Amino acid sequence: MIMGILLAMVAGALVSLQTIFNNQVNARAGSWATTTLVLGMGFIASFIASLIFEGSGTFSLQHMKPWYWISGAIGVGVVFCLVQGIKRLGPTFATSIVLIAQLSTALVFDTTGWLVAQKIALTPGKLIGVLVIVVGIIVYKFGDRWVGKASRNKKPATSHTLGQ
Amino acid sequence: MLKGILFALLGGACITLQGVANNRISYDIGTWQAATITQLTGFILAAIVLAFVRDGSWKDMRQVPALYWFGGAFASVIIFSEVTAIQYIGVTFTIAMLLIAQLCMTFVIDSRGWFGVLRRKITVPQCIGVGLMIAGVLILKL
Repeated sequence: MIMGILLAMVAGALVSLQTIFNNQVNARAGSWATTTLVLGMGFIASFIASLIFEGSGTFSLQHMKPWYWISGAIGVGVVFCLVQGIKRLGPTFATSIVLIAQLSTALVFDTTGWLVAQKIALTPGKLIGVLVIVVGIIVYKFGDRWVGKASRNKKPATSHTLGQ
Repeated sequence: MLKGILFALLGGACITLQGVANNRISYDIGTWQAATITQLTGFILAAIVLAFVRDGSWKDMRQVPALYWFGGAFASVIIFSEVTAIQYIGVTFTIAMLLIAQLCMTFVIDSRGWFGVLRRKITVPQCIGVGLMIAGVLILKL
């Protein structure tokens, strides 16, 4: 349990770092040149790690199913969708939706048991927990704007406004 | 607007799908191998798209400080950690903790102005937002 939490947090911290690094590349090169570089680097690093930790097991792929080969296409689809979403909605709105969609989809996978080892039943507690996290994401992303607006209108930001 | 929302929803769904797919693949061929295959096929596809789109010249890469070229390398550890976490604690809990750590890290980097990021102060709503997310995770695990 603790191990799972720690690993998830390591992943999250690195996602943040990677996003910042990638944005630095993206600011100078185009988004597809950036994506190609990022995935190429990811491949090299994963391949080296695989050689270190799995040795020759890296090449024993007899249990490969055909769709495994195209799984990387999902990542390319992600980049396309994010670029389009941000272009149309701006980064704050777009990333809020992305984060919420990530979490909602996670709930769907756990509940249906699709592609995962064990099904986890959807309880009211889980649903409420996810909703509170969603509200947290919205407050994190938009809270500043509301507070800014409220102070411009000389209306203090009440906890009610923040908790919507 | 609606189109943008749909793209963002699909993008987010695909991020989670990728983690879950890697988890599934890792059962059959191993986690590091799953990361390798996914990144390789993604790289090839992105290179093909790049060849058609030609949106930005590779020459511009020279202007990017070399440190930032290696951001992609984090993906290997990200995929390994995420897949292993899903095996321990399930998808929802993993994604929830991942998002909290992600926002907290962004928080810290923004407030320090590290890595060429425009320095921004941590604001009260941001703290409340992260607090609510943590509360949500606690409710999730009750």
